[in-house]
Amino acid sequence: MTVVEENRTPGDELADTPGATGRAHSHGAGTVPDASRAARRTSFEVADFAVPTGREEEWRFSPFARIKALFEVAAAESAPALEVSAPEGVEVRSGSLEEVGAGTGFVPGDRVAAAAWQAGGQAHLVRIPAEAELDEPVLLTLRGTGGATSGHLVVDAGRHSRATVVLDHVGSGTHRGGVEVRAGDGAQLTFVTLQEWDSGAVQVSQQDVLVGRDATVKHFAVTLGGDVVRLSTNVRYAAPGGDAQCLGLYFSDAGQHLEHRLFVDHEATHCKSYVEYKGALQGETARSVWIGDVLIRAAAEGTETYELNRNLVLTDGARADSVPNLEIETGEIVGAGHASATGRFDDEQLFYLQSRGLAEADARRLVVRGFFADILQRIGVPAVQERLLATIETELETTMPAAAGATVPAAGSSTMPAPAGGQQTDAEKAEEN
Amino acid sequence: MTTTTPPELAEMDRYRYGWADSDVAGATARRGLSEDVVRDISAKKSEPQWMLDLRLKGLRLFGRKPMPDWGSDLTGIDFDNIKYFVRSTEKQATSWDELPEDIRSTYDRLGIPEAEKQRLIAGVAAQYESEVVYHQIREDLEEKGVIFVDTDTGLREHEELFREYFGTVIPTGDNKFAALNTAVWSGGSFIYVPKGVQVDIPLQAYFRINTENMGQFERTLIIADEGSYVHYVEGCTAPIYQSDSLHSAVVEIIVKKNARVRYTTIQNWSNNVYNLVTKRATAAEGATMEWIDGNIGSKVTMKYPAVYLLGEHAKGETLSIAMAGEGQHQDAGAKMVHAAPYTSSAIVSKSIARGGGRTSYRGLIQVQEGAHHSKSTVRCDALLVDTISRSDTYPYVDVREDDVVMGHEATVSKVSDDQLFYLMSRGMAEDEAMAMIVRGFIEPVARELPMEYALELNRLIELQMEGAVG
Repeated sequence: MTVVEENRTPGDELADTPGATGRAHSHGAGTVPDASRAARRTSFEVADFAVPTGREEEWRFSPFARIKALFEVAAAESAPALEVSAPEGVEVRSGSLEEVGAGTGFVPGDRVAAAAWQAGGQAHLVRIPAEAELDEPVLLTLRGTGGATSGHLVVDAGRHSRATVVLDHVGSGTHRGGVEVRAGDGAQLTFVTLQEWDSGAVQVSQQDVLVGRDATVKHFAVTLGGDVVRLSTNVRYAAPGGDAQCLGLYFSDAGQHLEHRLFVDHEATHCKSYVEYKGALQGETARSVWIGDVLIRAAAEGTETYELNRNLVLTDGARADSVPNLEIETGEIVGAGHASATGRFDDEQLFYLQSRGLAEADARRLVVRGFFADILQRIGVPAVQERLLATIETELETTMPAAAGATVPAAGSSTMPAPAGGQQTDAEKAEEN
Repeated sequence: MTTTTPPELAEMDRYRYGWADSDVAGATARRGLSEDVVRDISAKKSEPQWMLDLRLKGLRLFGRKPMPDWGSDLTGIDFDNIKYFVRSTEKQATSWDELPEDIRSTYDRLGIPEAEKQRLIAGVAAQYESEVVYHQIREDLEEKGVIFVDTDTGLREHEELFREYFGTVIPTGDNKFAALNTAVWSGGSFIYVPKGVQVDIPLQAYFRINTENMGQFERTLIIADEGSYVHYVEGCTAPIYQSDSLHSAVVEIIVKKNARVRYTTIQNWSNNVYNLVTKRATAAEGATMEWIDGNIGSKVTMKYPAVYLLGEHAKGETLSIAMAGEGQHQDAGAKMVHAAPYTSSAIVSKSIARGGGRTSYRGLIQVQEGAHHSKSTVRCDALLVDTISRSDTYPYVDVREDDVVMGHEATVSKVSDDQLFYLMSRGMAEDEAMAMIVRGFIEPVARELPMEYALELNRLIELQMEGAVG
């Protein structure tokens, strides 16, 4: 029976529950737990955050040894190079944090983000003028060249503007970055963050999104490269009527740790949020972590929210953690729900494809592509979509070699089967009464 | 919807089990925890040395383990003010008439003897304060070798069997409250069901705290041998006092090959009881473990029944229902650990928060490497009936195997005006309509309860709907 003891996980600290963190020992009365997710500390001062031990709830999933250096201000030596391609009318500037007006829609939520802020360095501003409607996306490429860098980007979409901004992380090195996305009243903004690092790169970033009155923001994260990527996305609403969609996709290979943490803070009335992240894991030491916190505060009446995370585990030993937390402080809501599904291929889909003459390896690749294609199509920037599909294709080629002589239809074609994934489907969305 | 609890729901706050008996035993009991208290409990029970050693180890670990810094606010517990052992009567009774008058009338009011008379249950244990005061089991089961005694008697009369399993599912230092329980445990049930024996109607235990600032630390150990079946039902109540009591039980269950155990709890402690309970079962090859967990009462409940699926084709199931009213926090959930191939688990959680209460679902699904072809589904639904209550969902999922199917879903909703309007347009009064919606919401769990418990649950809901709005 000793097997039970061996099975213990870090979460077993108390009363047989996950979620325990090892804060300082206390005998007797103990500490009052945080009232909600909103009670977690935010500050521009590094000193306000203790150096993590790795046992804290917000760090216990992360590969501590590989990110330890980022907790100190001095870790960053230079600002990363940023290549910009913007349509006419978009203002792009660089300067100090103050010069670009940073900090009105962003507060560091952990020690790394605060250290990056304090390290200062060069900040960038991308400003879309009010009522501007851009037909072409703003393309930003952040290229690491091997060193340690810190940086801050402000994306400011003026009221009633419509734009798409793509931030692509490539190259090598260690990067901590703050991103501040501010959508003015009635703005429609799509912000795409791509993590396409070379292997060996480490990134810990925080991206804050502030949604204006009746604004619509789509935040899209795609993480394929790098050794360790930890991306925290926080969404807040400045006024009623905002609508935020957070979509994401990740493909973790052997040795990769890809972590996405979301926090949607509903404080204003009549706002909407929808979160959907899909991930695949391939290789025995592949690791993914997805944390989705949603808080509906007592004042946020008329809120509608839904969260979904799906993971495809393609190899034994790969580990996917999925934690969709929901805290609701008022009953006066339109609806709230979440779903998480982790699984392997749908055998029926595989069988169907094989019955049509495809080799198993090809069928498996096709199912994975279908799983991703569905969400990729929602980026809305064809050039980016095509490039990402090609990258995923290459990953699949190397990790699941095609059977000789078989032909595989292009991803996204009309012969594509329904996306695979867990057995819980979107159709089972929350009943809203 | 209104901004405060509708009057028909406020009725729920009327607690029907809040009377207190005169308290001679409790008045003289000592407060606080020390090595002396632990040695004293052990000496009063004339325990073997190994149990005293284990208790002292528990005491040391209790001192070392941190309080949880998550979940509910536990700063209100004053460990120095709690009475760790209260002996209410010198002798355990086997007929209700032998019990002291006040204790007997308590159980009469709770309706326990009546249920036994009607043969709705196969055996009864009644724990009052620290010890089991009444015990009876159907004769034919005893003849088949079924053991159903209180845990103190279990240690005295079946020491070898007891020692083989005690503390194997929940180690002494598992968590702070399990360590505390190991140090000062008293009472609880010890059950052994021999190979192939099916206990067709439930065994029942009833726990009652009478003394103010009482700490009840029962310890239950259930061993279901190969191919057997048993259903154990427990209920709990306590009087309403100004200051708080603590209930911190440990329940260990061993379900052997192809056996099945169902464990039902209807927890209806008064709103000044901290209910911090560790429950865990191991399921061997082909075994089934089912937790049915109803949390209606208490000030704070933190309880996450677990099943460790250790053998192929083992199954775990948890049905959880929680209702939180004013001043209550039900932090309940479930934990399933898949440690073998072809294992399956299912969790269904239904919670209702009203009057400013808070319900939290907290759970973990872990699929370990090698547990291929595992399946797990989690379904959490929460109902909020006003704007001042709160509901949280904290599900943890950790999958380390490719060949698994795992799904989690949660919804939080309010009672909609449309639903109410529809039912009222069919001629129902508002309170009836509200009661029907709430009953429909918990029906998937209620139908799994033994009939008398399902009726009790329905009665509780109807009670909260009494005194309808116009």
